[in-house]
Amino acid sequence: MSEKLTALVIDDEKQIRKLLRIILEDQDYRVLEAENGRQGLADLAQRKPDVVLLDLGLPEIDGLTVLKHLREWSHVPVLVLSVRDGPADKVAALDAGADDYVTKPFAAVELTARLRAVQRRSQSVDDEPVFHMAHLTIDFTSRTVAVKGEEVKLTATEYALLKVLAQHAGKVVTHKHLLREVWGPNAEEQSQYLRVYMNHLRKKIESPGKAEKLLRTESGIGYRLMLPMKQE
Amino acid sequence: MATGAVTAVSFLVAPMTGHVGIALLYLFLVVLAGLTLARWTVLFVASASALIWNFLFIPPRFTIYIEKVEDVMLFAMFFVVAIALGHTTNKLRGSQLAQQQRELRTAALYELVRQAGLAHDIDAGLGAALALVEATFGVKAALLLRLKDHTLSRETHAASSFKIEPRAIELAEHAFAGKSPTGRFTQTLPDADTMHLPLKGRSAVMGVLVILPAAEKRFGAPEKELIETFAVLIGTILERDHLLAALKHAEIIEASERLQRALLQSVSHELKTPLAAVQAGVETLTGAVSADGKEESAVLEIQTALWRLDRVINNLLNMSRIESGVVQPMLDWCDVGELIENSIDLAGAAIHEHRISIDSDPTLPMVKLDQALVEQCLCNLLLNAAAWSESQSSITVGARLQANQLLLTVQDEGKGMPPAELPRIFDTFYRGQAAKPGGTGLGLAIVDGFVRAHGGKVRAANRQPQGAEFEIAIPVETLPATVTEKLA
Repeated sequence: MSEKLTALVIDDEKQIRKLLRIILEDQDYRVLEAENGRQGLADLAQRKPDVVLLDLGLPEIDGLTVLKHLREWSHVPVLVLSVRDGPADKVAALDAGADDYVTKPFAAVELTARLRAVQRRSQSVDDEPVFHMAHLTIDFTSRTVAVKGEEVKLTATEYALLKVLAQHAGKVVTHKHLLREVWGPNAEEQSQYLRVYMNHLRKKIESPGKAEKLLRTESGIGYRLMLPMKQE
Repeated sequence: MATGAVTAVSFLVAPMTGHVGIALLYLFLVVLAGLTLARWTVLFVASASALIWNFLFIPPRFTIYIEKVEDVMLFAMFFVVAIALGHTTNKLRGSQLAQQQRELRTAALYELVRQAGLAHDIDAGLGAALALVEATFGVKAALLLRLKDHTLSRETHAASSFKIEPRAIELAEHAFAGKSPTGRFTQTLPDADTMHLPLKGRSAVMGVLVILPAAEKRFGAPEKELIETFAVLIGTILERDHLLAALKHAEIIEASERLQRALLQSVSHELKTPLAAVQAGVETLTGAVSADGKEESAVLEIQTALWRLDRVINNLLNMSRIESGVVQPMLDWCDVGELIENSIDLAGAAIHEHRISIDSDPTLPMVKLDQALVEQCLCNLLLNAAAWSESQSSITVGARLQANQLLLTVQDEGKGMPPAELPRIFDTFYRGQAAKPGGTGLGLAIVDGFVRAHGGKVRAANRQPQGAEFEIAIPVETLPATVTEKLA
C-alpha cells in the first residue's frame, strides 16, 4: 500500500492505547488516540480515520452509544474491544453496526487478522468474481463451489449461506444477520434453520478430522469463515 | 293507651265540636303512631280509631250503626285516610331510619379507612380497626392473620382483646379455607360463642376476624352486612400492605442485582485491562527478542502464566455470577456435535497431550440450550479430566438423548476419585486431597452452577476398572426430525 492507513483507537486506558500504538505502528498504521467517546467522535469527524478500534467499557458515554452515534453518519470499519463478559454485549455491538470484535486480553496476531478482515469490506467482494481461501474456491458468476479443486454440490440455501459468510470472510456474522440475508427479514428468530444448514454446509466443505476449521462457531453470537492467519 | 287518652279528650270536646272535629283528633293520633310504631300496629291503631270514632261519636252514638248518608261517607273517608296516613308516615319513618343507619355505616367505614388504612404501621392500623369494630358493634374482637406460607396463623394477633380458643381457631380456619363466615349468626355452627369472618382481599384471604358478642346479643341483617363489609375492608388493607411489602422487596432485589452486575463489570474491566496490556506487551517483545532459545522460552512461560491467570479470572467472575444469581441461560437451537468440538477448541493446549475421542450419536437432533454456557461446562470437565489423568491417556466425550434429557459425559483413564470426596467435588473452592498445584477448585463448581441454571444436574462417578466419569444431564427441547428433513 502506497499510503499509510490511519487507525483511531478509542480507549480510556492509557496502557492499552500505548500498546495498541506499538502493535499498529508495527503493521504500518498511523495511529490516533482518543481517551473518551466524545473526543473519539470529534476525531472521527475531523481526521477521517480508515478504521476505528473502540473499547466498549468507556466512561461517561459508553462504547455502544458511541457506536450508535458514529453509525448515524459514518461507514468507517469498527473493531470493538471488549472483555469476555458473555455474548450479549458483543451481539449488541454487532447489531449496532460494529464490524467485528476482539476479546481482551487479545493476541496481537488475532488483532491484526481481525483488523485486516474488517478492512476488506471497503474493497467490495462483488468486484472479485472468484473467492479463494485455503482449499476453498467460490465462483460467484457461475455459483459453483470447489474444495481442493473438486466441485461440491450445494443447495441454493447452502450456497446463499456460504456466499454471505465469504462476503464477510474473516469477520463474525451474527445469527440474525445470516437469517435475514438468507431467509428474509421475517426469519430472524428461526435459528433452527441456520443450525441445520450450517451443519450440512460444514459436512460438505470442511474436511473431517482435526484439520483447521473453515467455519468457526462463535457461541451465542454467530459464525465466522476463517481467513488463514498470515505468519509474519 | 294513647287511644284511651284521645277518647277521653274527645268526650270533653265533643259537645263543642261535633263528631266531625273529633275525627281530626283521631287522625292526629294515627300520624303519631305512624311516626313511632311498626307497620302492623299503625294499621291496627288506624282501624281501631275508625271503629271507636264510629261507635262513640257518630250519631246514633254507642252503636255501630250510622244514620246519615254523609256520615257513612265520612266514616269511609276517615277509614281510608287513616290507613293511608298511617302507612305513609310509617314509610317515611322507615326510610329516615334507613338513612340514619346508612350514615352510621358510612361514618364507621370512613373511620376504619382513616384509622386503619392510612396508619403508617400496619399493626397500629389493625389495633385501630379492632377498636372500631368493638365500638361499632359492642363486641370483643380478635384477629388471626395469614402467614408467609399462606396458611392461617394459630397465634392470636397482638392487637386482639381476647385470646382465641382452639375450637374457635378451628372454625376460623374453616372460614379462611371456605372464604365465608362461620360460627355464631351464620349457617355454619351457629351455636358457637364466636363469629368468624374471613378478611377477603382482592385476590386472597388475608386472615380471619373473630368477634365475641355478649351472650344475649342479637345481630340483624344490616349489622351482619356491615360487619362483613368491615372484614372485607380490613382484608383489603392487609392485602395492600402485603403487596407494598412485596413490591419493596422486589425493588431491593432488583437494585442489588443491578449493583452486582455493575460491580462484576467493573471488576472484570479492572482485572482484564492490565492482563490485556501484559499480553500485548509480551507479544511485542516476542518480535523484538532474537531467536535465542532462552529468551523465547521465557516469553512462552510468561504467556502460559497469562493464559492461566486469564482462566482463573474468568472462573472467579463466573463463580461470582453464579452466586449472585445473575446467570440466565439464553436458550437457542444448537448442534451437539458442534458444541463438543467447540468445547475441545476452548480447552486448547491444556488437553493437547491427551487423546480425545468423541462418542456421539450423529443422528442427534438439534437441542435448545445456552451453547456458550454448556461449552464452558464441557471445557471445564475436559480440563479437569486432563489434570487428573496421565498424558497420552484417552478422554472420551459422549453425547446422547434420554427421555428429553441431553446427557453429556466426559470419561478419563485417571485414578478416579476417593469415594469420600465424591459428595464434595462440586463445592466452591473444594480441591481434591491429591490435587496437583494450580487450579482454584472453581472449575467443577462452575459446571454445577451453569448446569443448574439450565435446570439440569451434574454427577460424578468412578469407572471400572479405572478412571472417572462426569455426566451432565440437561432437560432440553429437541427439534423434531421432521423439521430437519423438511429443511434438507
